[in-house]
Parts: sequence; C-alpha cells; structure tokens
Amino acid sequence: MTIPFEFKQYTGILKSTGRRAKNLRELRGGIAGVSKESIFHHTYQYFLKAHILEYTNDFAQWGGESIEERALSERLSNIDPYAFKDIDGLRAELTNVIDDYLENFPEPRDAAPGDEFYFNETITLIFSAGIRAKNLAEFLIAIKYIEPSSIYYHFYDARTRLGGINDFSKWFENELGKKELSEKIRLIDPFMHSIEKIREHISKLLEAEVKNDMEAIK
Amino acid sequence: MERYSGISPKGDLLLIMRLCDILKNRTFLHINSTRSGGGVAEILQRMIPILKEVGIAARWEVIEGDNKFFDITKRIHNALHGRTEEITRDMWDYHFEINKKNTERINLDADAVLIHDPQPVPLIEFKKGGKWIWRCHIDVSNPQKDVYGYLRRYCEQYEAAIFSVSKFTRAMPVSEFIIPPSIDPISEKNMELSNDEIKGTLNKFQIPADRPIILQVSRFDRFKDPIGVIKAYKDVRKYNDCILILAGSPATDDPEGEIVLKEVKEYASDDPDIYILLLPPFSDRDINALQRASTIVLQKSLKEGFGLTVSEAMWKGKPVIGGAAGGIPLQIIHGVTGFLVHSVEGTAFRIRQILNNPEMAKRMGETGREYVRNNFLITRQVRDYLSVWYSLENKGKSILEL
Repeated sequence: MTIPFEFKQYTGILKSTGRRAKNLRELRGGIAGVSKESIFHHTYQYFLKAHILEYTNDFAQWGGESIEERALSERLSNIDPYAFKDIDGLRAELTNVIDDYLENFPEPRDAAPGDEFYFNETITLIFSAGIRAKNLAEFLIAIKYIEPSSIYYHFYDARTRLGGINDFSKWFENELGKKELSEKIRLIDPFMHSIEKIREHISKLLEAEVKNDMEAIK
Repeated sequence: MERYSGISPKGDLLLIMRLCDILKNRTFLHINSTRSGGGVAEILQRMIPILKEVGIAARWEVIEGDNKFFDITKRIHNALHGRTEEITRDMWDYHFEINKKNTERINLDADAVLIHDPQPVPLIEFKKGGKWIWRCHIDVSNPQKDVYGYLRRYCEQYEAAIFSVSKFTRAMPVSEFIIPPSIDPISEKNMELSNDEIKGTLNKFQIPADRPIILQVSRFDRFKDPIGVIKAYKDVRKYNDCILILAGSPATDDPEGEIVLKEVKEYASDDPDIYILLLPPFSDRDINALQRASTIVLQKSLKEGFGLTVSEAMWKGKPVIGGAAGGIPLQIIHGVTGFLVHSVEGTAFRIRQILNNPEMAKRMGETGREYVRNNFLITRQVRDYLSVWYSLENKGKSILEL
C-alpha cells in the first residue's frame, strides 16, 4: 500500500549570535568562528528569503551591496553549498575565497555605520501543513498551492537531510515507482531557481506525467 | 483565528494552533508602561484578544508611576536612542523603587512573562517563576554607554531578549531573538474599504480624485523630512500633474512639531495642490482611505524606528518610496516592492518613474502586498512570540518538530 506524502512546513525564528563585522577581515573572522547554525542560515536558508537571485548567500550580498567588493561577491555567489559534505567544508571554502581576495586587495573598505554584517542563526520549527497526497494527481494539486516554506523544506532542506536527494523524488521513486520522474526532479538545480520557479518546474513535470498516465492504454 | 483565515499565511495560523495545543491554558503575562498611545500599546490591544482566543491565558498589566518616574524613563529612553542624558544614582534607585511598588499590585505569577521596553525592566528582580523575556522596541544600536551598561544588570537576568532588527541587538549573555513589529490586517487602519468610503474621505478633505495622489503619513518632524518631500514633489510637477498630501497628527507634546508644521505650511503655501492635513487622534479609518486613494506612498524618513507606515501602504497594494533608514530597508525590496532613496532628487526621480509606468506600479504593489502578508502581519508576530516561549522550554535544540 502506498504511504501518502505528508507535506510539512518550516518556520525559522531568527536569533542573533551577538557577532557583527564591519569589514571583510571581520567577516572572515566571523565565518571562521561562528556556529554551524549561523553558516547554515546565511547560505542554505538564503533561498527562503524573497531575494532577486543576484546573489546566492548573505555573505555575497553584503560583499556586493554594503562594502561594494563586486568581484568578491561574484566569487562568493558561485559557491554551491550543496557541493559540500558538511558545514565545515563550506566554511573552509568561504574563508579560502576571502583569504585569496584579501591577498590581492588587502585594504577593503568599512561598511557604513549601521550597515555592518550581523551573524544570525535560526531556531527551526517543523510541523505538518495538514495536506496529504495519495497519488500523482493529488500531489500535482497540492504542489500548486502549498506555501513556499513547504517547498523549501522538502526540496532544499531535504538535500542536507537526505544527502543530495529531495523528499519529492524519494516518494515518487519509493512509493509510486516513478524512477524517471524522480530523477528529472532531482536534476532541477536548486541553486539556479527561486522557490516559485521550482514550484513551476515541478508542476510542469507532473502535468506531463499525469497526462501520460491518463493516455496510457492498460 | 477564523478572521485571519484567507488573509494571513495558512502556515502561520497552523503553527499558532500547533503551539497552542502544547501551551494551552498556560499563562502569558505582558507588562508595559501605558494602556494607550504608542506602538507597543497598539499592538498589545490587538494581540492579547488573539492570544486569549487561541486558548492562552494571556494577561496585560501596566506599571503605574508618577511624573518623576516617567521623566526618568523618558531620559533613559532618549539615552538609549543615543542622546546625552544624565541619569543619577538617585534616579536609578527611584526607577527601581517604583517598579518594586508596582509588584504590590501586579501578580507576576505566570508561565511566560514578556516585559516591554525599559520602564518595567527592573521587575525581573521580583521574578517568581516562568520564562522571563525582555522585549526591546527601541533602536539601541548606538546607546549612551553608561545608561545601557546600568540597564544590562537587569537585562542579563532575563532568559531571552527580543529586538526588532538585527542591528539593534547587543552582545549579551542571553538568547537574543529578532522579531520585527507588525500590522493588523483587520484593524480600522488596514481593513478593506469600499470605494464609496474612500471617495467620502477625499470629499471630506476636499481633495480632488482626478489626478494621481502622492501621500506621506507622518508626524511633522524633521526626521520625516516633510520639506524634502515637498521639494521632490515640486520637481516632479515640472513633468507630471499630481497632488501631494502630507497627513499627520498635531504633536501637542512636541513643541518642535508646531515649528516644523509652520515651516511646512509656509513652504507649501504657493501651491494649491499640496494638502496638509492635521488629523485628530484615532483617525485610523481616514488614514486607511487616504493610503488606498494614493498612487504612490512616501516615507522619506532620514531617521526611523521601524516605519510601519511602509507596511501599511504595501498591504494596500501601493508602491512605496522610502528613505533608507531604520527598519525601512527591511520592508522595501529595492526595485521590487518600491524604491529606497537617499536624496530629494532620488525621491523625485522614483516618483516620476512610477507615475510613468503604471504596469510597474501595479506589479510592485502586488508583490509588496504579498511581502507584507508573509512577513509583517500580526499573526506572524503572535507565532514568533509563542515560538520563542516554546524554544525556551526546549533550550539547546535548534530544530523543533511539532
């Protein structure tokens, strides 16, 4: 019997670490010393925020907007957090990129007062969205209307929980035997889309699959 | 809760319900220093009934004091904002004594206690039990050091502190949460209004509805830059026909307010299309109608606390042009829900840009409304307060599954 897909939802309560940085050297020091939860918040959870995708993490955004180190910002934006096994690997890459930049540009400017970088972290609350899907058609309707934080939890956050895969692909393959669909969804690059684009992408793939299933002569 | 269904994000309402399953019938005490007037009282008036409706035994108490006490707390308030004030040892003692006296009247027994702002902060010395949280609504990013240092001895006894914006936080040995303020979508100031009512308000103030309206709602205060707004408007008028409304309440307790108002009136006197409205207190419905009648809403502040008028206007689907000060950059996503500006010229340019691109204005307004729905409604703030309480009961865990 198919185990229904239960949509869960995600809320983060923002917490300050008390640490701030007014220039690139202090940012580097902060990244090296701050909690794993803070690095996670400023990188992986960036996708939860309603940004235009000019940057891909808070460090790059601050580098570009507040201290106007555009080249550094581009390099930081190009770091894919999902390419690392753990937070410390990501942390090391972030500090390496900054160290390299500081070697060439050793005197970066200070941010304007009030525009410093504030290291935060989140306390995450996970709860049921009260929506279940038993088959592909129900899933298609649900994916169109669930809240963005639900897509974040199952598509982005799952990658760190499950190691490279997402909850949707896992369910399509394990419960519905849809290996090809599962793979297509797994291949959507989370890094290159906003949550709404991910929703659109998955909906399109599901529409096609549901249509195929309905036309199949069995 | 049903009243917010279909308005607030379902996830916020669901989480409130889930948290209430756990915290049901437990006591949640809020203490501040005034029953009416000011943003804190306004939010508590709306929030306490919501908490009660969802099954939390919420209580709101107000500390009482004489003029001497409130003169001291006003000085403390100013010093936290960065103004130089002298608070003597005797004043601090009096601040403590008045709080002590209030404990004879206020029952401090509760499962969670939220103390708002510095006036009642010494009450922590009389804690009986429960989780005590200090809620700081003030911009303490640049406080007078000795005053903040003295207050810290109280703050550090709390289990947690809550600030509105990251940059207001201080390095303290307690958990510090960041929870922005919010607006109530079903209050008089933000509820839906009929077109007839909106027209009625314009008629009442004899404002024609035949041209685009540019509006700023704020006190007549130099930090809100009303003269800068008029300058920007005059610049725009060289290219576009429009009306400017500056609406605010008379500041009877602020002698400078009258001077600024006089200056504004003089500066605007030669232009019949500038409307300066002095609204009496409790004009929320008229403000609502004026915001809804506008094409563009300005909040051209030079200094600002959080500037919730920005969220109010965005909730009404209006593109907002705001000064990049205080909490305004948290509400306006530049180029997406409106524009952040740093000068009179920038303001004029952005007004013209929006007036000439009605499609863009519509898109910004729609995106802005969604942004407020997801981030600045009162249900989100209720959700956050309950989440902080729950997280303090599960200290040390960064992921909580309900």
